[in-house]
Amino acid sequence: MTADALLLQPAHVIAQAVRRRDCSALALAEAAATRLQATDGVVNAFTQRTLQRAFARAAALDARLAAGDTTAQALPLAGVPYAVKNLFDIEGVVTLAGSKIERDRAPAARDAVLVQRMDAAGAVLLGALNMDEYAYGFTTENSHEGPTRNPHDPTRVAGGSSGGSAAAVAAGQVPLTLGSDTNGSIRVPASLCGVFGLKPTFGRLPRTGSYPFVASLDHLGPFARSARDLALAYDAMQGADAADPSCVARPFEPTSAALGQTLPAGLRVGVLGGWFREMALPEARAATDSVAAALGAKCTVDWPEVARARAAAFLITQAESSTLHLADLRQRPQDFEPLSRDRFLAGALLPAAWLVQAQRVRRWFARQVAASFADVDLLLAPATPCVAPAIGTEWLQLGDRRLPARASLGLLTQPVSCIGLPVCTVPVWGAHPALPIGVQLIAAPWREDLVLAAAAALESQGVARAPVAALG
Amino acid sequence: MDPADIERHVDATAAVLGLPLAPAHRPGVLQYFALAAGMAGQVMDLPLGPEDEPAEVFVPVEPPR
Repeated sequence: MTADALLLQPAHVIAQAVRRRDCSALALAEAAATRLQATDGVVNAFTQRTLQRAFARAAALDARLAAGDTTAQALPLAGVPYAVKNLFDIEGVVTLAGSKIERDRAPAARDAVLVQRMDAAGAVLLGALNMDEYAYGFTTENSHEGPTRNPHDPTRVAGGSSGGSAAAVAAGQVPLTLGSDTNGSIRVPASLCGVFGLKPTFGRLPRTGSYPFVASLDHLGPFARSARDLALAYDAMQGADAADPSCVARPFEPTSAALGQTLPAGLRVGVLGGWFREMALPEARAATDSVAAALGAKCTVDWPEVARARAAAFLITQAESSTLHLADLRQRPQDFEPLSRDRFLAGALLPAAWLVQAQRVRRWFARQVAASFADVDLLLAPATPCVAPAIGTEWLQLGDRRLPARASLGLLTQPVSCIGLPVCTVPVWGAHPALPIGVQLIAAPWREDLVLAAAAALESQGVARAPVAALG
Repeated sequence: MDPADIERHVDATAAVLGLPLAPAHRPGVLQYFALAAGMAGQVMDLPLGPEDEPAEVFVPVEPPR
């Protein structure tokens, strides 16, 4: 298989070919650079390219393999091209976090911890990816860099805030990317671009060396075109880091080795009702129903007070993120993204009681939801209320509700990340005539193994799939 | 909060914080503050007990070894 063709295969297939020396890591990096050049004029996923680094590290890996280095021969992501949302530190590159303001900062002195771990697993970094400014948005309509376009229909948004991360995978530029998710920023773009995305449990993966949005809610995780690739990347990135105070010192709990074509025996699956049905258009409900049928869902589960949980996440997000940027809001508000500047300004003005009560509601909600897992192991909900809207869409009609489109893309993800549950978003085709939509597979804290196992089973059944977009 | 209360709060708090609000930004700020106030109404209305602590947990920092 040529490097160009291999690039469009899943990461685990690529890594196997590189380990066997059927294809060199350098040829793959060059193929990715060529595809990036050919496609990114349409997609606009990348903001910075690290090609010199990629070629040098790929060549170094090839040399180790040629020399019979047994450590290199065991690397799970050997030679796999990948890229990261531009809020991850990359040594020698300015960490933009989607902003104009950060362009004035010094380049990062070292790689983010998760970038270090991906590289240690053999992956080859190709560059940094577009996002909503400071991760505050669900569409990646970035006014400084231009919008990232959905590879399956470039007139539509890619979702956000990790829009570049989802679009690069859907476009076949790289098979694996990293993003962040505070209120839905992995799950929303995964849904709209038709790729797999994993938001691990809050506190599982260290955020050291990534630009924060809301420290109380920020998660990092991978995107890929297969569940196995998510598991390989997730396993490579596990492990505590003391520099991230929210990162929990859990033992290494591998997931990829146990992935099979069938579900874990006795898995109890339910569908989230109430808010998660009401805030979804028919295509979102249909996609969820197809996944529910495939997984043998037996019950509907109604979480209490979901709207209040979402409100809590909203207030925590506003207060923390605005305080983080208060100095720049005072001195240079004109340099902020116009789509989010006024939200940042308003968030700086919230009374303290609202923030503290929001954190109390969050704890209360987490306890209620924990009780619901006594009867089920896995819960299903749409990832977005709708398929990808056209770029520039202002309003979303949900039944008799007319809602602001950009904020509403996170209606179904925000209550789940608010309490830090692990979620794998799987892409479903056929519920809409032309576009994919994602379904959230949600488990109790620390059960990433279950959401990944269910995603792999759905993939093997053909219920979930992530084809490379036919660009042009 | 009614619109007049929101305007008073926004202007007073912005002054306390030393956060200038440009005329072009103020209408948007009032709009988003009103949205936040609606969200706040939802969280403030939920009856909670003393056992419902805030979700944040502080992690003490050890000195370097």
